[in-house]
Amino acid sequence: MQTVTLPDGIHQQWPFAPRFARVNGWRMHYVDEGAGDPVVLLHGNPTWGFLYRDFVAPLTQAGHRVIIPDMIGFGLSEKPTREHYHSLDGHIANLAALLRGLNLDRITLVSHDWGGPTGLGFALGNPGGMRALVLMSTWSWPLPPAEFHTRIFPWRMMHAPLVGPYLLGRHNALAGRGVYLSVVDRARFAERAMAAYESVLSDPATRLLTWVWPRWIPLDDTARALDRFAWLERELRACTLPALLVWGREDDVFNPAIFATRFKHLLPQAEGPHLVTGRHFLQEDSGPEIAAHIVDFLRRVP
Amino acid sequence: MTGVTMIAPPSLDGKRLAFVLAEDRLGHYAEFRDFFVRAFDLDRIGLARPGFLRVASGGSYALVFIGRSGEAFPSGVEIHAIVPALEPLDEAVVDRDLWAILHWIIDGVGGAWTVEALQETGRLFRIPLAMEEPGRSEL
Repeated sequence: MQTVTLPDGIHQQWPFAPRFARVNGWRMHYVDEGAGDPVVLLHGNPTWGFLYRDFVAPLTQAGHRVIIPDMIGFGLSEKPTREHYHSLDGHIANLAALLRGLNLDRITLVSHDWGGPTGLGFALGNPGGMRALVLMSTWSWPLPPAEFHTRIFPWRMMHAPLVGPYLLGRHNALAGRGVYLSVVDRARFAERAMAAYESVLSDPATRLLTWVWPRWIPLDDTARALDRFAWLERELRACTLPALLVWGREDDVFNPAIFATRFKHLLPQAEGPHLVTGRHFLQEDSGPEIAAHIVDFLRRVP
Repeated sequence: MTGVTMIAPPSLDGKRLAFVLAEDRLGHYAEFRDFFVRAFDLDRIGLARPGFLRVASGGSYALVFIGRSGEAFPSGVEIHAIVPALEPLDEAVVDRDLWAILHWIIDGVGGAWTVEALQETGRLFRIPLAMEEPGRSEL
């Protein structure tokens, strides 16, 4: 069994009891705090539940049950070592296995990055169990990609064949430096949080998903998950769930003027976008402020 | 110049193949697979033997190509250092050699894929060997 030792300074910020569930044959870590209607917070690449450390107290104090899973391949969850394990549909099924196993109802899903397509894949396939959606710096349609994702430097080179396993595998480039480059207050991030993301991907073989997820982002109509993303967009257009959009003003991956606007077009009932200080990993710069937006939003949702 | 050359199959007497890097999806960008097919004549040679490289450090490497049902060949590749059978790897040398091999690959893939973009990406992510190269990234 793979084991992960969190540095002391990280443990203090993440004091929650670890829980584990079997999902599709793999060991998924999650935390489950508080009581009330559940709020499920979903991270993306290359982070884990730690990204939401500032959300737990305000949400539980407001009367919510907070569930934060680590995607299989990240955080304290088991990490497959073959690229072919990972697929968008497989990760949606992993989430479905966890949430059905917990027998949840009236779920609010909070989704960031790949937590968007995976979380929405569950939510839109199981609308009866849902209460609301919160979306941050993500997307859920086939094309066009973010301009950032079309560039060879640095995005496509970073995960190119053999280059990805070298830069992101041998050198763990995305979990530390990559996140560092995508926050606003880099000094604070380096001091308080960077070790949390680097330490859980301690060996090259554990870092596989950091270069595999980028390869699942559709860049043209030959992409593997194009049909799933087309389904997501169709279902989003028909979705009437209450929704909240929160975006980082400085987001240079999923530009809010393009991506939040498109979500607003697909979900015209959505509140926001509320713009906060933040690049792609906006939770690192504005965690308490975003949590307050969610608490306020849920106070008004039936 | 990358200091990497293709060589004939070397003698493996007293040697072992030490696994150092793998790629499960060589055709993710098709031009990468095309490069290896051209460079190692893989349409003719197939799985008959690995490809072999020598790098400036003097180290030799075997490229073991992987086939996968339903996918164009090769679907993947493993890079193995050829080292004395009972001796440990010098990890710093291997890392430097792999960085040189990546330069050779990108140079061979060509087109929009440039060695300068590889170096700049390496510098952006503070890869130690990339920081030794002249460049622009100041982030």
